[in-house]
Amino acid sequence: MIDRRLIENIDWFLIGLLVLNSLLGVVVIYSASHYVPGNYHWRQLFFIGASLLALFVLLLVDYQVLMTFSLYFYGAVVFVLLMMLVFSRFISKGSWIKLRYFQIQPSELAKIAIILVLAHLFAEYKRNHVSATAVLISSGLVALPFLLVAVQPDLGTAVSFLPLLIGSLILAGLRRNAIIWILLLAFLAGIAGWNFYLKDYQKKRLATVVFPSRDPQGAGYHILQSKIAIGSGGFLGKGFARGSQSQLKFLPARHTDFVFSVIGEEFGFIGVVGVLLLYYLFLWRLFRSAGKSRDRAGVYITFMVSLMIAFQLLVNVAMVIGIFPIVGIPLPLLSYGGSSLLANYLGVGLVLNVKMRRFVNI
Amino acid sequence: MEKDRFYEDLSLILSRTHKVSIVIGLLLLFLVFFCWKVQILDHKKYWTLAEANRTRESVIIAPRGLITDRNDIILAENTASFKASIIRENCRDYDWSLAEVGRLLEIAPGDLTARINKYESLPLFRPIVVKDNLDLKDVSRIESRRLELPELIVETDPRRYYLFGNMAAHVIGYMQELSALELKNEAYPERSLGDMVGRTGVERQYESILVGTDGRRLEIVDSQGRSRGETSRSEPTPGRDIQLTLDFDLQRKATQLLEGKEGAIIVLNPRSGEVLALASFPTYDPNKFITRFSPQEWMELINREDHPLENRAIRGLYAPGSIFKMTMALGALNAGVITEQTTFFCAGAVNFYGRPFNCWQRGGHGALTLTEAIQRSCNVYFYNVGRRMGIDRIAESAELLGFGERTGIDLPGEKEGLVPTPEWSRSVRKTDWYAGETISVAIGQGPLVVTPLQVAVQVAILANRGRGVVPHLLMSSSLSQGRTSGPAPGDAAAEKVRAEFFETVIRGMWKSVNEEGTGRGAKVDSFDVCGKTGSTQLISRERAEKLGKQIKTHSWFAGFAPRDNPQVVVTVLVEYGGMGGATAAPLAKELFSLFREKHD
Repeated sequence: MIDRRLIENIDWFLIGLLVLNSLLGVVVIYSASHYVPGNYHWRQLFFIGASLLALFVLLLVDYQVLMTFSLYFYGAVVFVLLMMLVFSRFISKGSWIKLRYFQIQPSELAKIAIILVLAHLFAEYKRNHVSATAVLISSGLVALPFLLVAVQPDLGTAVSFLPLLIGSLILAGLRRNAIIWILLLAFLAGIAGWNFYLKDYQKKRLATVVFPSRDPQGAGYHILQSKIAIGSGGFLGKGFARGSQSQLKFLPARHTDFVFSVIGEEFGFIGVVGVLLLYYLFLWRLFRSAGKSRDRAGVYITFMVSLMIAFQLLVNVAMVIGIFPIVGIPLPLLSYGGSSLLANYLGVGLVLNVKMRRFVNI
Repeated sequence: MEKDRFYEDLSLILSRTHKVSIVIGLLLLFLVFFCWKVQILDHKKYWTLAEANRTRESVIIAPRGLITDRNDIILAENTASFKASIIRENCRDYDWSLAEVGRLLEIAPGDLTARINKYESLPLFRPIVVKDNLDLKDVSRIESRRLELPELIVETDPRRYYLFGNMAAHVIGYMQELSALELKNEAYPERSLGDMVGRTGVERQYESILVGTDGRRLEIVDSQGRSRGETSRSEPTPGRDIQLTLDFDLQRKATQLLEGKEGAIIVLNPRSGEVLALASFPTYDPNKFITRFSPQEWMELINREDHPLENRAIRGLYAPGSIFKMTMALGALNAGVITEQTTFFCAGAVNFYGRPFNCWQRGGHGALTLTEAIQRSCNVYFYNVGRRMGIDRIAESAELLGFGERTGIDLPGEKEGLVPTPEWSRSVRKTDWYAGETISVAIGQGPLVVTPLQVAVQVAILANRGRGVVPHLLMSSSLSQGRTSGPAPGDAAAEKVRAEFFETVIRGMWKSVNEEGTGRGAKVDSFDVCGKTGSTQLISRERAEKLGKQIKTHSWFAGFAPRDNPQVVVTVLVEYGGMGGATAAPLAKELFSLFREKHD
């Protein structure tokens, strides 16, 4: 069932960039956590291997087939999220399901289900502009898992569903006026809510609900420590495993959400530019893959996967350098965490899947 | 085969993906620029912050120099003391911490917050001392709650300890914390908030010698404030020791003699000016100042009516009374207004300028020569002498013997007293001098005021037959640069006064002690004590009789010994002690005897 021609069309360059980025992550994770128990670097290496395996398994099945089952995947994920909420006291802790040896974050895998279901929805959508019905259906499909994840509470992951929706609507042809209206309404609602509806103590409370245990030492402490880490790195950085901010634990969540700060501190501006350049190549290759798909669904899949990774990258970096509020969004591929890594690998797997089957006859 | 047949036209949606990818590329570029700003443009700022994060500087307090007496008996030393400090940076919940610490160490919540607020300006990682002199129970209590209260730490410090408590307290002085105000004044450029400095006495006078240079320790700390080892350390340089001229035995004796009284005793070597004993009573325990008074204790101490903190020997201003008669006698002889043989008749009182001036001996002394007048302390004789001299020549003689100016002792805060003159009266008092006052000054009353130390110096100059002397507390062998910038010991009196006049006055003083004079209470067998008593009236005797009260006078004795080879000057003042001969002279005798015993 796997044809030689399909294997020939696998984008090995993209896989190379993917693995290179992930291995770079292992190096930084080692630097950020070798002095605490947990062997995070070894575990991350294992996750990379497992995710790569999952990626190749995914290539075996035609994405068209996957799309036909997309509603079942979606339903299963929503069911799991719902169960987590209902039985939260027994099986889960926030966004995690605790298993014996490790824990998984179903909300990360929900992204893949959403991508497939949206691609499926818009596969035959050939009009130049999107209709109100399509907007409502797609919004509903994203809103359901969004709410379930947001109340876990894991606002970061929930928010990273939004670019999938917005991306697909843009592709489907959102009218310019509609875009302006949506942005304007969201902006006004946010401002009005913050200024008139919420009281100070509620804002504070909301902040602690949204960012649990992230701010024990006074507002802005983590942002400040992160900026200090990045800024003190200077041009060349302090050297591998020699950043005082991370080694002495001034930096929060060093091997997860704030891994970019460790890069900034230990490898300096050079390191930051290097990593961002690598990401740029990777994203450029991903976005360009859209042109190599044989059908509309393939473009949607490729575009949403690219957007998913780009969004996480932009928000995470903006967050750690202090120009975006702290929401728990990891740096894709580099941050420690199996579920997030697996979701990104599966996403890239989908893109490869689309790309390698571009010449197959219908 | 045409492509379009098999493939849909995706150009529209592909162009949309292209646009979005460009936006994303631009956002990425923006992030790079922002990193440039943080890492390159603002690098210095964040580097400094990172360094401040990871390092903690702490001070290693240098032990202060010891203070010893002339025979190397230690008077002030350093012991270790434990103190509890709060590191505010480590407080998880500030209010809770304060409540817990207050309960643990039994400090009133108000005192604790007041104390911490005082040091608000210090960086958060700097420990603030909340309680010193912890006993072992406190220390173990703190240690047992180490994990719960990482903000509370125990430090050890060298602490000043005065072995003999209140003995010589006024000489040694005490130490207190620097106040924020003093730091602003930059009087102590090298010191920082919370440091102890000498406040009075030798501790203050020789602060710069006694104080060492504090060491500094730079530690690497993690985000929990735990030390990860030192990066640099500069050892403290201990302060230098100083040796005082005090003689432990004489000082202790003087202290014992004054116990329960108010007054001052000074024992001096007339030749060198070395102060062998200097006591002021009531006194205080300087150890109390180190341990940080509670606010009430402090208020009680400074508001006490008998002013225990005041060093009466150098700051108490008293009428010299009959002690001044030596100055009068010397001045009159030198001015030629009398000779040794000049005789006046004392009938118990004499009238001048239309008012009577009394002698203390109501019945009168009869006809007296100068030495007899000194021996028996006759007022009437000196009223006559005073009238002949006039106030200007009296003042001249007083200044020649050291009155009206500081002696230059190496203690802070010495007062200069007052030798009144008509010019002083016009410029300061804004009234004319009137002749009757001259008569009062002639027996050491009136506006004339002196310190006990000035009296001691007067006697020393007489004993030295005119050679001046600067009393001092620092052994000259102790430190070469130790001498204070007081007046150089002048020999003005020796130059201006003929030696035989000194002998005349000294003969009178010798008679006072050894030939049944007023000073006989100070007689020591075969030690040839020469001295003079004084009993200064606080109000006139007539007034006291009218009030029907017995008003006690201040009681003076000042003398030296031996007559021909003076080795020691003793000055005793007892406030409200009654007659000088009855109260002060016997105290002086004890000191003369002790001195003699020690130097046989």
